[in-house]
This record gives sequence, structure tokens and C-alpha cells, in this order.
Amino acid sequence: MAAKVVIKDLKKVYPGHDGTPVTAVSGVNIDIEPGEFVTLLGPSGCGKTTILRMIAGFEIPTAGDIYIGEERVNSLTPDKRDTAMVFQSYALFPHLNIFDNVAYGLKIKNLPKAEIEEKVQRILALVGLTGMEKRAPNQLSGGQQQRVALARALVMEPGVLLFDEPLSNLDAKLRVYMRSEIHKIQRSIGITSIYVTHDQSEAMSLSDRIIIMNNGKIEQIGTPHEVYAQPATAFVADFIGTANIIPAVVSAADNESVTVEILGHRYVKTMKNDFAVGEACKVITRPESMTLENDGGLKGKVTSSVFMGESQDYVVALEGSEKTVFVKKYNPNSATVFEPGAEVSVSVDVDSLHVIR
Amino acid sequence: MPEKQYSNLSLKWDEMQKIFRDPILLGTIITVLISLVIFILWPLYEVLAQSFLADEGGLTLRYYQEALRQTENMEVLRNTIGLCLFVSFFSTAIGFVFAYADAYLKIPCRGLFKVIAILPIISPPFALAMSFIMLFGQQGFVSKVILGIKDANVYGFAGLATVQILTFFPIAYLVLAGLLRQIDPSLEEASRNLGASRWQTFKTVLLPLLTPGIANSFLLVFIQTAADFGNPMVIGGNFNTMAAQVYLQAMGNYDIKGGTALATVLLSLSVLMFVVQKYWVGGKSYVTLTGKPSRVRELIDDKAVVAAVGIPCLLISAFIAVLYILIPIGSFVNLWGIDYTFTTRHYTYIWNLGTKPIIDTTVLSLISMPITGILGMVIAYLIVRKRFIGRGVIEFTSLLSLAVPGTVIGMGYVLAYNQPPLILTGTATIIVLSFVFRSMPVGIRAGVASLQQIDPAIEEAAQDLGADSFRVFHSVTIPLIKSAFFSGLVYSFVRSMTAVSAVIFLVSASYNLLTVAIMSQVDVGRLGVAAAYSTVLIVIVLAVVGVLTFCLSKMGVKVTNLQG
Repeated sequence: MAAKVVIKDLKKVYPGHDGTPVTAVSGVNIDIEPGEFVTLLGPSGCGKTTILRMIAGFEIPTAGDIYIGEERVNSLTPDKRDTAMVFQSYALFPHLNIFDNVAYGLKIKNLPKAEIEEKVQRILALVGLTGMEKRAPNQLSGGQQQRVALARALVMEPGVLLFDEPLSNLDAKLRVYMRSEIHKIQRSIGITSIYVTHDQSEAMSLSDRIIIMNNGKIEQIGTPHEVYAQPATAFVADFIGTANIIPAVVSAADNESVTVEILGHRYVKTMKNDFAVGEACKVITRPESMTLENDGGLKGKVTSSVFMGESQDYVVALEGSEKTVFVKKYNPNSATVFEPGAEVSVSVDVDSLHVIR
Repeated sequence: MPEKQYSNLSLKWDEMQKIFRDPILLGTIITVLISLVIFILWPLYEVLAQSFLADEGGLTLRYYQEALRQTENMEVLRNTIGLCLFVSFFSTAIGFVFAYADAYLKIPCRGLFKVIAILPIISPPFALAMSFIMLFGQQGFVSKVILGIKDANVYGFAGLATVQILTFFPIAYLVLAGLLRQIDPSLEEASRNLGASRWQTFKTVLLPLLTPGIANSFLLVFIQTAADFGNPMVIGGNFNTMAAQVYLQAMGNYDIKGGTALATVLLSLSVLMFVVQKYWVGGKSYVTLTGKPSRVRELIDDKAVVAAVGIPCLLISAFIAVLYILIPIGSFVNLWGIDYTFTTRHYTYIWNLGTKPIIDTTVLSLISMPITGILGMVIAYLIVRKRFIGRGVIEFTSLLSLAVPGTVIGMGYVLAYNQPPLILTGTATIIVLSFVFRSMPVGIRAGVASLQQIDPAIEEAAQDLGADSFRVFHSVTIPLIKSAFFSGLVYSFVRSMTAVSAVIFLVSASYNLLTVAIMSQVDVGRLGVAAAYSTVLIVIVLAVVGVLTFCLSKMGVKVTNLQG
């Protein structure tokens, strides 16, 4: 049964080696709906894995509560919790074959032999490993081991499925493939999933919602579209994709729209806001939402122009500012290419820009 | 709302929730702590306490003054320290040459080195001393028959030191060979590539990398030499050492108090070395950080180097092999030094004397084997995998018994368990307990080393899938470290069979042990009978180890020599 997960005011402080306590996680509140796929995304050391391990029961919260379903699980050992985890290192039992690896948890539940057999076969078929039952884990490729780890967790039909950077040990192509497999399987079963990663493309492609973390705190919770198009903070903007964060001043604002001024150019963005006139703010634009033209926008000079195949990537130094911006032009063969040194004008797609404090 | 402040201590206490919420784990930790306290710390405390407590009550230093005022005992202390330094130095040097030959040179008969390293473990601890007497003593084959020296005297410093070096250098060899094999060959190649000669590379790269290992070997041999009881008793002659003197003072002179005072002095020396070894040198290893070498080393086959290093090693090995072979030979010779005709009369003598010590030793060693093995792995698991208050105590105490000389702990057992609440003197239980706690540390070390190689996530996965602590331990942990576990079992059996220093205090009319029987035969000069007993002991050890290793290899488990 897909369970909901509620995390309230979660805090984790570790005893530090030098005597000063280290705060790994603080003030974390998350509500996860049954069947939802939520990703904890952030740089290494941001506390995302600590949260996952507290949900699984491997770490004890310093403060706060964790509910799985209706039950407060803080004092339960990991074996008593309705969670199943897919580990970064897979953590397959090297002394057991594939069948016994997947059957391990079912045997502990003392299920009848026939039922175990049936469930294991069904799940192995689901992850495409039928026929591998008698193999040892080290006889399998990385991708196959990854599937065994997934099968071993799925077969438990847990309330919550936990993923701890499960794809980080795979090569790039396989990672993309396994990503779509995980997505497909999760959707077909409808199991609540919490997924930890530092790879934004995994987060974007898998999640219903992404929780972006930094320094033990949540920066933003939102759908992939929200965190990309309307990042709540400069950190989020910079962490998800590439962002140009340009200092600006609010020149007019009402509840429905805000007008910002950058180097003498005004941009009107329709968005709910509470900015005051004259307030300093930051404008966030994505490289692909800006174009280089001969005139008409922000004046600048190309300092770098690199052909990437799918795109031409520019760095432009804005005139009258210390700021340089990244501009990406897709399908570069069909357009004029600017060389370094070229005087250009940068125009911004107003609909895709975003304003934060 | 102001941020709540957390102190390190309260946070560590919070971490203890992990233990408290898991009754099996909590119970195990408490049981382990209690048994370590009762069977290691309490006996040591008794020794200390008795040495400071006056018979009429109150604290006193009298027993130290009395014991150390005897000029004899001061000399014993000086002897011990001098001997330990001498033996440790030469053992480490020879061990280093062997390790280098083993890891770097293309020499024939390298298998012989492994045999030489195992022989001291599977034979009585004073076997070489016996062989030495048979070769160089008054009736010695070399001294009397070949050289014709009358009244050759092998007893004393020279004989003892030689025997101890030959017995203990394999410890240094195994430690250093292990380190040398872990050094990445690229380091030396880098040095050669930068223009250093082979000798410069050895001096500027290899030697500095090995310095902590060399210090480590030195201290390990020092501790072993200080604790050695059998060799000084057999071949020490007038050159007495502390380990033996503790026994002689307490049991020979019936001066228990003086014995405890000497035991405390010896214990302080050993514990000091242990602490230096574990906390000072132990933390300085460069080699373990680099992990496994990237590829196999090209062995040196330069004739000059191989001859210069390899030939002495092979000669020493051959000599040691001969010394051990002398024991079974001696057991079939009518009267060593006088009449070399073949006889089985020593075996008949043993048979008539009764097989009880043989059976007792074997049975008690077999009983203590699984207890040691399981307890050792449980402790290794707690040390490596769990964080709790008291973990340091468990780690220190369980490894401490490596350093405590057998005579000290033996005396502690006598003092601690001949009064209520625990009266164990004269029972089989006390012997089994001493076997268990004497041989456990080596198993723990092996368990710790092999657990550190294993991804903790594997055990977490098992727990995550619903296994409780007990189930995780027996269905995942033990299978993953089964090689260390079974090697620990085998080692525990062997060590119990050959133990002498602690149990010499604990044997009684109802339970006598083989090693003690051998020593008393040596004592009265019946070398033939002693050799026969020793041969029986070695045969039993080899038979049991052979059967165990065979059964385990059928199960796919490799048993390794844990001394390294």
C-alpha cells in the first residue's frame, strides 16, 4: 500500500570530531502524498542522504517527527519500518544468488515457499531479469545489479520506496536508460518514492516534485517546471540548469506584475509579487531564453564563442556592468555565428525571466 | 524562537537511542561488557590490589620493596628488559629480510617461509628450546657427538635469546611482508623514473614507508618476549626473566604477594608497550591508506641480490625446520646423547602414565573453540559497526589481553576465582575461560580487518528488509566474514592446545594439560618423554586443523594464518 510520509520540523545534529556539534539537517517539513515520486536534490553534504536515512531508521532525528502512513516511526528500528531502500552501492548480499537476494525479506516475513517463489519470479520479470536466478551478484553487470537491488526493494511492496543515489555508479548511457525504467516501474506500481540525487537531470525526469536542499535546509519544493522557471532563490536557479543572475532595480510593481530595470532597459514580468518600487532585486534568465542580435537589447561584447554541436555557447560581457551572461543558441548551423570580440545586443524573452529578491 | 543549543555529550547520548531501541543489541553489548570485565579486568585488578594491600589491612608498598630489594629480582628485571630489546631488534631485522625476500625476490622454496611462520604457532611454545638442548646441550648432538665438547652449557642468555629470536621473528616477518605486499609498485617506479638507484629507492622510499611497520613489529615481538614463559623456564638456566620469576615467586617460594608485585611490574611494562604500539605507532601507517596495489609487482631476479638475501633466509629456514624435526626424532631415540637406538619406550611410558592430559587438553580446547570464535566475531562486529558509549572499553579490554603476559593473567585467575562469588579453582571451566579470553584477541583483529573491507550498506539492506540484529548477524555478517571466523576458530584451537603460561597456574590434580606435562618432563630431564608428548600434541593439532581445513575448503572457505 502506498503510504503518505509526513516530516515535521526535522533536525539532525551530529557530535563533531572537534567537539563542536555539526548540524546536518534543520527545520525540514515535507508532506509526501501516497504514490508520489519526490526527489531530494542538492550538492553533496546538503543533508539529503541524512533525511533519507532518518526515514529508513538508520539515523535518529535530534528533533522533529517522521510519520509513515499514520504511524510515528521515530522510535522504530529499520526492520520494523514499512520502507525498502535501494542503496547507492546496491548492497547486494554477495553470498546469496539473485533469487535468494530478492527473496531475503520475504523469507524473514515467513511467507510460504510457493508464494515467495511466485512473487520473486513476478518481480524479476518486471525488472527483466528472468533466468538470472541462480547467478551470483558479481556475475552480473552494473545495470543488472542495479535491477536486482530495485527488485529486492520492490518485492517487499513497502509503503515507501527509498532511493539513495541509485544510478551514480552507472555509466552515462545506462544511467539514462535505468532512469526511464525506474520511472516506468514506479508509475505502473504507484508506490510512494523518495529519491536522493545530486544529478538534476535525474530529478527533473523522474519527479512529481523536487525538494532542493542546501546546507541542511530546504531551499524550495516544487514541480520540475516550477523549480526551473520560478526558482525561489539564487541557489536554486544556479543549481538547476545554468542561470544568469543579473542585479536589477524594481521600477514599478503591483500584485500582478513587476517592472525591473537592467542597465537602462525595462522588462515587465507578469507574476504575483510583493516587491516595492526602488527595491534591489535579481533577475534570473536562462541561456536558452536569450538571443544575440545586432542591436535592440542590452549592449555587450562576445568574450567566448564555443561550438558544442547541438548549440553555440556564448559568454557576453555586458556594457556598463561587471556582469557576464551565458547565451545558448540551439541549432547553430542555421544562424549567424558571432565570433569573440563582436559587438552584440542581448535580448531577453520576458515570459521566461524570473525575479527574486 | 531561539535556536536550541546542543552539546556533543548530549548528542552522543541521543545516538545511544539506536542501541536502546534494539533489545537484542543492548543485551549483547551488556553481556560482552560484563564478561570482559569479569574475565579480563577483574583478575588484573586482583593482581594489582593484592600487590598493594597489606595482609593486616591498609595500603602498602611493602611487597614491592621486599620483592625488588632482593638483588636477584632487580637483576631479573634488568635481564628481561635487556633480553626483550635484544630479541626484538634481531627478530625485526631477520623478519624484515625474510619479508623483503618473500615480497620482492624471485627465489625458490618460498613455501618454506610459510611453514617456518606456522611452526611456532602449532607447536608447544618452548619446542625450539627443547631442540636446542638436544643439539647444543650437555648431551647435545652437535656439542657432544660432533664437536666432542664435554659439559657444553646451552642454558642462559645466549641460548635463550637465540631460541626466542627463532621463535618470534616470524611475527615480524608476517607483519612486514603484509605491508610490503600492499605498497604500490608505482611508487618505486616513480622513484626509479626520477633517477634514483635501486638502493636509493630502498633507502628513501621503501624504508620510510615501512618505518611504522618496523616499529610495530619491534613492539609486538617485545611484548611476546616479555610474556614468554616456556623458553626461559626450559633454557633460561640462571638467566631468569620476569614472566618466569612471577611464577617462581608465587608458586615456588609461596610468596603470592611478592608474585603480584612482580606481576604488576611486568604488566606495566607490557601494557606500556601495547599502548605505544596501538595508539602511537598504530596510527602512523602510511601503507594502509593506499589500499590494494594497482597491479602485481615484478619480482627481482638479479642473481647477486637474490643470493645475498635469499641464501641466508633459506639457511635459517632449513635450520629451523631441522630443529622442529628433531622433536619427533628425539621421541624415538632411546637416550639422547648416549644411546641413539630406535625405541618406542617413551610412548609406552606416556601410555602407562595415562592419556587423561592428552584427552583433557584436546576436549577443553575443542570446547573453547566455538565460544572464542563467536564471541570474537560479535566483539569485532560491535567495534566496527556500532557506535555506543562503552565501545572504547570493549575494544581496549579485548585487545589488551594480547599484551597481558600469561603468567600475570593466570595469577589473576587464581586470585579472583578462589573466593566467592565465583569459585572456579580446579575446574575445567576456569581452563576453558582462560583459553577463550587468551585466544580471542587474534580472532577479533581478524574480524575487525575483514569487516572493515565490507560495505556497511549490505548489513543495512538486510535490516531494512526486516531482519533484526540477530538475524542480520547470522544471515549476513557471519557469512561475509566466514574466512576470518573459521580462521579464528582454528587459531583458537591451536593456541589453546599450545598454551602454557596462564594455565600453569590453573591446572590441578583433576585437570592437567599437555604443555604443563611436557614442561615437568623437561624439568626432570626426561627429554625423550617430553619429545614424545610434544609429538603427540603436534600430531593432534595437525590432525584437527587438517580435518577442519579440509571440511571448510569443501564448503568453499579459506583458512588463513592469522598471525600476520
